[in-house]
Amino acid sequence: MPNPPPVEPDPITSKSLSGPVLVSSLLLIVSLVWALYDEFYGLRPWKNYQSRFRALYSSYLQKLRGQQAEEEEKIRASEGYKKLEEQWRAAREAIAPRESEIRAEQNLTERQLAVLTDLLPTARGLVTSLIYKLETAEGASAKAKLQREVEEAKKGPFRARVPQKDDTLKDVNFTYDELISEYNRLRERKAALASQISELYARANRVQKQLDEYLSERLAGPRASDVERLQSSAKRFNVEIRQIHVLSTPTFGVPETVLVDRCQSCHIGMDANLVPPTVTLTKAALGVDGSTDAPFTTHPNPDLLKIHDPKRFGCSPCHGGNGRATTSVVKGHGRHKYWLWPLFYRENFDAGCQQCHARDLVLEHAPTLTAGKELFRLRGCMGCHRFQGFDDEDEQLRAVQQEILQQEKIRRENELEIARSNEKGDAAATNEEAQRWYRRAQRLQADNNRIDASLEQLERRSQGLLREWKKIGPNLKEVRLKLRKEWIPVWLENPHTWRPTTKMPRFRLDRDEIEALSAFLWQSGIRERIPQQPRGNPVRGKELFETRGCMGCHAVGETGGTFAANLSRLGEKANYDYIVRWIHNPRERTLPYCPYEKRDLTAEDYRKKGLPFVFGPENSRCPNDGHELQIQQMTVMPNLRLTWEEARDIASYLMTLRQENPDSYPAAPFMNDPKLKERGRFLVRHYGCAGCHEIAGYEEEGRIGTELTNEGSKPIERLDFALLTEKAKRGILPDGSQSPRGKWYDHKGFFENKLGNPATYDQGKVKEPLERLRMPTPNLRPDEIKGLTTMLLGSMDPTIPEQFRYRPSGPQKDIQDGWWIVAKYNCVGCHQLRATEPSVLMTLPRYQDPDWKEQLPPPLVGAGARLNPDWMQQFLENPALSESQLDRNGVRTYLRARMPTFNFSPDEIRKLVRFFQALSSQPLPYVPPKVEPLTERERILARQLFTHPAAPCLKCHMTGEPAHDRTATAPNFLTARERLKPAWTERWLLDPGRIQPGTGMPTGLFRREGDRWIFSGPTPAGFRDYRGDHSDLLVRYMFTFTPEEQRLLLGRMPASPGSGSGEPQGKK
Amino acid sequence: MKRTHILTIVLLALLAVVAACKKEAETPKVEEGPAPAATTAAIDPATAATVSGKVVFKGTPPRRNRIRMDAEPNCVALHKEPVYAEEVVVNDNSTLRYVFVYVKEGLGDRSFPTPAQPAVLDQKGCVYMPHVAGIMVNQELHILNSDPTTHNIHPVPVNNRERNVSMPPGAEKLVFTFPREEVLIPVKCNVHPWMKSYIGVLRHPFFAVTGTDGSFTLQGLPPGEYVIEAWHEKYGTTEQKVTLAAKETKTIEFSFTGAGGD
Repeated sequence: MPNPPPVEPDPITSKSLSGPVLVSSLLLIVSLVWALYDEFYGLRPWKNYQSRFRALYSSYLQKLRGQQAEEEEKIRASEGYKKLEEQWRAAREAIAPRESEIRAEQNLTERQLAVLTDLLPTARGLVTSLIYKLETAEGASAKAKLQREVEEAKKGPFRARVPQKDDTLKDVNFTYDELISEYNRLRERKAALASQISELYARANRVQKQLDEYLSERLAGPRASDVERLQSSAKRFNVEIRQIHVLSTPTFGVPETVLVDRCQSCHIGMDANLVPPTVTLTKAALGVDGSTDAPFTTHPNPDLLKIHDPKRFGCSPCHGGNGRATTSVVKGHGRHKYWLWPLFYRENFDAGCQQCHARDLVLEHAPTLTAGKELFRLRGCMGCHRFQGFDDEDEQLRAVQQEILQQEKIRRENELEIARSNEKGDAAATNEEAQRWYRRAQRLQADNNRIDASLEQLERRSQGLLREWKKIGPNLKEVRLKLRKEWIPVWLENPHTWRPTTKMPRFRLDRDEIEALSAFLWQSGIRERIPQQPRGNPVRGKELFETRGCMGCHAVGETGGTFAANLSRLGEKANYDYIVRWIHNPRERTLPYCPYEKRDLTAEDYRKKGLPFVFGPENSRCPNDGHELQIQQMTVMPNLRLTWEEARDIASYLMTLRQENPDSYPAAPFMNDPKLKERGRFLVRHYGCAGCHEIAGYEEEGRIGTELTNEGSKPIERLDFALLTEKAKRGILPDGSQSPRGKWYDHKGFFENKLGNPATYDQGKVKEPLERLRMPTPNLRPDEIKGLTTMLLGSMDPTIPEQFRYRPSGPQKDIQDGWWIVAKYNCVGCHQLRATEPSVLMTLPRYQDPDWKEQLPPPLVGAGARLNPDWMQQFLENPALSESQLDRNGVRTYLRARMPTFNFSPDEIRKLVRFFQALSSQPLPYVPPKVEPLTERERILARQLFTHPAAPCLKCHMTGEPAHDRTATAPNFLTARERLKPAWTERWLLDPGRIQPGTGMPTGLFRREGDRWIFSGPTPAGFRDYRGDHSDLLVRYMFTFTPEEQRLLLGRMPASPGSGSGEPQGKK
Repeated sequence: MKRTHILTIVLLALLAVVAACKKEAETPKVEEGPAPAATTAAIDPATAATVSGKVVFKGTPPRRNRIRMDAEPNCVALHKEPVYAEEVVVNDNSTLRYVFVYVKEGLGDRSFPTPAQPAVLDQKGCVYMPHVAGIMVNQELHILNSDPTTHNIHPVPVNNRERNVSMPPGAEKLVFTFPREEVLIPVKCNVHPWMKSYIGVLRHPFFAVTGTDGSFTLQGLPPGEYVIEAWHEKYGTTEQKVTLAAKETKTIEFSFTGAGGD
């Protein structure tokens, strides 16, 4: 029996797949929905922001419109507006009849012109085609025939129905020439009528413009009509990506897109296309006060945007962050580990400025950064850390010396080449060829002459740089002359407990290190003698200290400047004789230093060469080898040109400043232990003391710290968080507390913690003492840490296009350079340089007294417009303006405060003069305007004005009479010609208060009459028929003032009081 | 973008070429053409010929200007007699003094040794001695100051290099040489404007300056055809062609015409 065939399974199964299909399709639908959601909302958070903004903005505009309309109504109802409106109406009415006449004629002319314009092409076509035939015809007879035809055709007639005044149409037959001339006449007439209309309207339009201005000048914010326009554009508002394409400077006319910023997609209030600069959106105005998720405000610093138009600069170049990212706030702000340039935190926003403005010391709109950079300089961070632009005189000096060698080499080569060329010329076959060689020699000689001139300048520059080169701390070669021996170890232990405001940071030194360092410094100090000084008068000294200007830089107790040391405890540490010499001339050096021999020269060196032991600016060469010597102390403290007596008085006062009896300092016999010296020498190098101090044997020592110029762009992995890495990533601070902003594993976190406590990253490490981190504790306040952190964060090799970096030339560069000098020597201790920032002296209690206010050194806001740059240069060089009489101010001898001698290098003087001139937009070199000389009659008139009881110029201004000058409050007119600029002088005469608020010089001496200024007081008789400008007359008089003239005036003046009633001391 | 790159490259290349051209232009080109067939044969004294003659002056001799040395008392003291300008000096025999006569053409490329004997130009009584002189190229010209005053010696050549050197009284002699032929180089003293001298610089020794009898002699010339030129500081130059046979002695006469002559 055959086996039954095996039952095959039914190929058509009835197993249902609907379950999986259902699940799959559900999944598909869900993921589709999810994808769609993500596409439209999930990855587009800006859509939500924009919709919210649209609603908020619309309601804000609605409210604003109401407010503005109300305001406008008020203004329209005002008297002034109504008067103008009346005028406008009258003007319109006055022109109405004439206007309708002109309009009627205009209408007619246009209709007539229309008819002729239709006809003209036909006529012209006919005639010109015949003329063309005539031109191309051959043979005289053919030409004659055609000529006749042309004339015939020109006769026409060309018919037209021309509209008339009475609205009828008149048939006119024109010849061709008539037609053309009529057509031209009508066109001219049309133009004439149009210009008549605009003339007619001129007055009415003028009044209308006045009306407009009246309204807009008095209305704060936009017009209601403008707001309405904004509303309608807000209605058409599209939710869309808003982006800025930052373009490069075009090369061959084609700019490239270098950056795309989409920040405004969320920060929509910043979009200038949507919100014009007249509208300011704040959170309060939009009704979202307190919300942290409403990025709708306008930029808080519109002045800054005026000079950094976001359309040109974008957002992320200044703020950091990833301008392209739109999918989330975190990504847009770049605050994740894949983005190297995260958004700067709010308190460090100024860091963005540093990227392009690294060369600027002072930035108006970046106060945090400016403070940070100023602090970096003031505390002497650059003593250990190189930072481009900060105290780089030593580098410049090396560069200049290199350049000198280079140029000398070229000169030598040129000389050889000159000799060769001349020889070839001598031997040349023809005279022409010889001349070519001779000319070549002459050209090379001209080159060498230029090199000679340049070498001379380079030599001066190198000399100047040696003078410019300063140290942050005092010269430690002179410790034996200056200091109480026992004080040194006390100071090294912790400078901040002894003097909390000191620049000197605290080094983490063991006891034996302190002893070794003290011993080395003491034993390596020079042992010359300095003259002994008799005691002075401390009471007089105190008065001098407080009035000569010392307190612009120094403080005693809480009062005074913070630029230089607080002298409160000077008496505990210093040697009186040394302080007297220092006050008399801080630049006086005990022994000159020879950078070539690398040692201090002694009297012995000079004696060997048979020279007197004299060194100074005039004897600045080494007697051994002729090299330029360091002949002054490397301090910025200037010479106040005090007498020895004054110096003794001040020193005697300072020696009374003590808190403890210095005899209570523990004895320090170890300082004489020669065994400690070597270890001390090693430690000086190890801790980099020579970065800030001059120390024997370490004059040329380099910086020991890391360079910080581009510290902000150092990869995070190269910032050594050491054992704190994990804590930083988890947001736990070194002291174990929680970081307020969460994780701090970033540049900001590193800098802040390092600056707060430089030893922090040694935490938990097992290290040999000498391997520990060396950076000392700078003792900074939180705001100081913020400033420095901001500076470091921005100090990066920026990814920003080259074109944006601020590298100005000309006057802008002069301003940039000038601030460094101003900061270096602390000009702002005594002088006000910016209208918004008082000098240190201005803030001192003494100068709050009205009489003492007159004793303030002159403010220098706008000084470039006032002072002749040539004079300025002389003054900066020698503020006494005298070679013999140094114990005085050159101009304002009545001031107790003394303008000191800074021993500026020529380069520094040049920079300062340029700086002041550039700040006042004055070009250099200065070409003084010609001052018209006075006629004899004018001179007599000017004299009368000058001595007039209503303008007692010589009461306040110095006259040269010693008794009077002691109580004067303004400079001698004799200085005007060389010192001042005439145009400024006239502006000053007219309104001094506007130029210098608070000045003793009164405003209102002149009043305007027609187109000239005349004296406000009763004018002397002679002025009745004088037509000139009185202020101009006075200026010209001042600029031609002579000593003889002054004597003549003084003879005429009623006797000067000169009794000392204005003496500030009297009032104290 | 690419296009701008190519454009840049092309431009740079062009610039480079231009720069290269400029550099070349800067160094004077030395023309090293083939030297003309030289007649360098030594002169045989046995066949040497001579040209001699005199320079005649026609017309009325102009009055000689008197030199006022009042500005320099040191010089005034050195002269007992009045001093007259040496610009035009007509001798008693109606010949002209201070005429420089020399062979201008005809010697081909012969070269002549530089005389070891220096020429001398003295400054004496604020007058140059001699007033006109000839020297050979690279021959030393010794300049003396015999005056108790400071002179400066300032030759103003066209083809040679210019110099101007101060000579205080009692100064060491100065040694000048002129490497290029030039007829004639004026020499002046900027302190004493009346002082003038003329130095003729030639590559050969065939030159003479007329003296008190107005005569000149050029001897030792090889036979040949010559152009002889006479130069006078005021009356300019005049030349004559001369053909000399071996051992021949030829006499020629130059003449210059002053005002009033015909």
